[in-house]
Amino acid sequence: MTVPDQQRELLDVSADRWHERIADLLAGGMRFLTLWSDPAERVACALGSGYGTTVVRSTPAPGELQSIVDVAGAAAWDEREIHDRTGVQFAGHVPLRPLVAHPAATADWVTPVSGDDVHQVAVGPIHAGVVESGHFRFHVVGERILHLDLRLFYKHRGLEAAAAGATPDLAARLAQRACAACAVTNSVAVAQAYESAHAGVPDAAVRRARTLLLELERLYNHLNDIGAICSGIGLATGSMAFAELKERAQRVNAELTGHRFLFDTIAVGSSDLDIDASTAAHLRARVAAIGAEAALLWADVGANRSVRARIRGAGILVRDEALRLGACGPAGRASGVNDDARADGGLLWYPGFVGATLNDPSGDVAARIEIRAREITACCAIIEDVLSDPVRPGRVTLSGPAAGPGIAQLESPRGRTVAVVEPDRAVIAGLHLRTGSYANWPALAAACTGAILPDFPLINKSFELCYACVDR
Amino acid sequence: MPAWTGRPGVFVLLRHLAALRRSTDLARGAPRSVAIRHVDAGSCNGCEHELGATLGPIYDLQRFGLSITASPRHADILLVTGPVTTRMRDALLVAYSAMPEPRLVAALGNCALGCGLLGDPAEMIGSVEAILPVAVRVPGCPPTPDEIARHLLAGLEEVRAAHVRPTS
Ligand code: SF4
Repeated sequence: MTVPDQQRELLDVSADRWHERIADLLAGGMRFLTLWSDPAERVACALGSGYGTTVVRSTPAPGELQSIVDVAGAAAWDEREIHDRTGVQFAGHVPLRPLVAHPAATADWVTPVSGDDVHQVAVGPIHAGVVESGHFRFHVVGERILHLDLRLFYKHRGLEAAAAGATPDLAARLAQRACAACAVTNSVAVAQAYESAHAGVPDAAVRRARTLLLELERLYNHLNDIGAICSGIGLATGSMAFAELKERAQRVNAELTGHRFLFDTIAVGSSDLDIDASTAAHLRARVAAIGAEAALLWADVGANRSVRARIRGAGILVRDEALRLGACGPAGRASGVNDDARADGGLLWYPGFVGATLNDPSGDVAARIEIRAREITACCAIIEDVLSDPVRPGRVTLSGPAAGPGIAQLESPRGRTVAVVEPDRAVIAGLHLRTGSYANWPALAAACTGAILPDFPLINKSFELCYACVDR
Repeated sequence: MPAWTGRPGVFVLLRHLAALRRSTDLARGAPRSVAIRHVDAGSCNGCEHELGATLGPIYDLQRFGLSITASPRHADILLVTGPVTTRMRDALLVAYSAMPEPRLVAALGNCALGCGLLGDPAEMIGSVEAILPVAVRVPGCPPTPDEIARHLLAGLEEVRAAHVRPTS
């Protein structure tokens, strides 16, 4: 398997050409990846085509750029975040509500919704169970949700700010800390972004090791998520059964790497993972058993009539809306958006990758649980394939730094994660992480519109987005 | 009859569950009833995953009389994860002040203990201890479900021993 040429293009444009240039690239078939503000106080937009990327950069003049949300709906949160962090205005994005900032007055961030009997239900930041912190404001009539405003960033730890001036290894550790559930994805993303800025070519050992770790991360997450949806349904059998499978998957992680969440397994420029043939064979059999039992269990649980009645038609995200909002990952695929960063090739080990798809991508809770069940099978097959040989330490060959930022795209358990690293000799000048969860939160809010309030926990679980890697 | 009875999936599950529960090797301990209110004060979610597992079918913390409650009003213990971000500080203090006395605070995970923090110091208080009196400490990043169960049980035992009135 050859390493694809990673096309990198860098376009510096004046502020008056910003919108036009990006609109042209999108019209030419590129996908919006992320927006960030770089160390030189420019605003930059990354667009992708396969594994290739184009970066458009511009200096806001004066303090303002034209909004691109009319051509890239997925950029709405990115523009709000840049506005909060830097004060840059995005003309045409009205109103530009705060996202990261937490103004004291409710009216300063909540969407005004009015009419007969409309009232608000405020939930969080502390939730009822063992759940991450964040605030939701539902605008409802009776039980019907008219609109959902999200206020996250309660867990903001300033990880990107701390990465400015850090060594690449520290930057990868900071990204790992952003979120335990996406620890491997986030740290591989930062490692690859740094390597890509240095025309890095990973050898086969590095590609296999990283792919193995990424898929092990997906495996325990998908098992967790199906269990969580079963809890949302109120089906104790399913939630207990998948909790047990998740535990076994995490014990495989611990045996392989010494850590149940695979922490500290990713290095920039190399891989230390060393698994001999007999350990590989032993773990391979355990993963195969987990996959087989998950399939058996899902065949039981998923066919149950009362389960089906509960999950069908709940929280529908239609395909057009999913596309407009940039939904990705299992949530996007459940709505018929066939976006999977693993299919782009890239610098990993996915020979002949074909993603799981649904015959009927109905965009409801049922579709989001079904796609995960199918992906577990595919995921175990990839792990078993890698583990059919020993995994050895490897290296990434790096050359001198190229101009402009390094960008990596990976498929996390939640969707497409993009990391941007601005290299500055031996350290990095800037880090930006836009995770699959970040991409999907607006889609979750859209899926709740028209649903009933008691369905929210179930719909929320069916997306199972991280707060931690959004808040950073 | 539900579709899954009589199919092999559930039996496979139950067999494994029985084996895994035996393998955790936790002693049963004295019966008690303690309600825990968990607050995520800025964790990476690893501590939540493991706390969830501690309450799950294998470690089953409920068998020792410990359970999670939805309201701080019903809680005996405030169990905090994360480095206490400046944005979670007030919510955490409100939850604590809503609890009836006697109450205890437990810090779960290295972040909550203020160890090995990563991030921008301006965004974090840095440890639970800095703003609340911590009685039980559970170190680890994240602590495993087994460690969480052991530390909570041992910590409660210690607190209880310290509060037993000497009999004369
Ligand atoms: S202690 Fe470790 S696992 Fe727990 S919140 Fe902190 S970084 Fe995450």
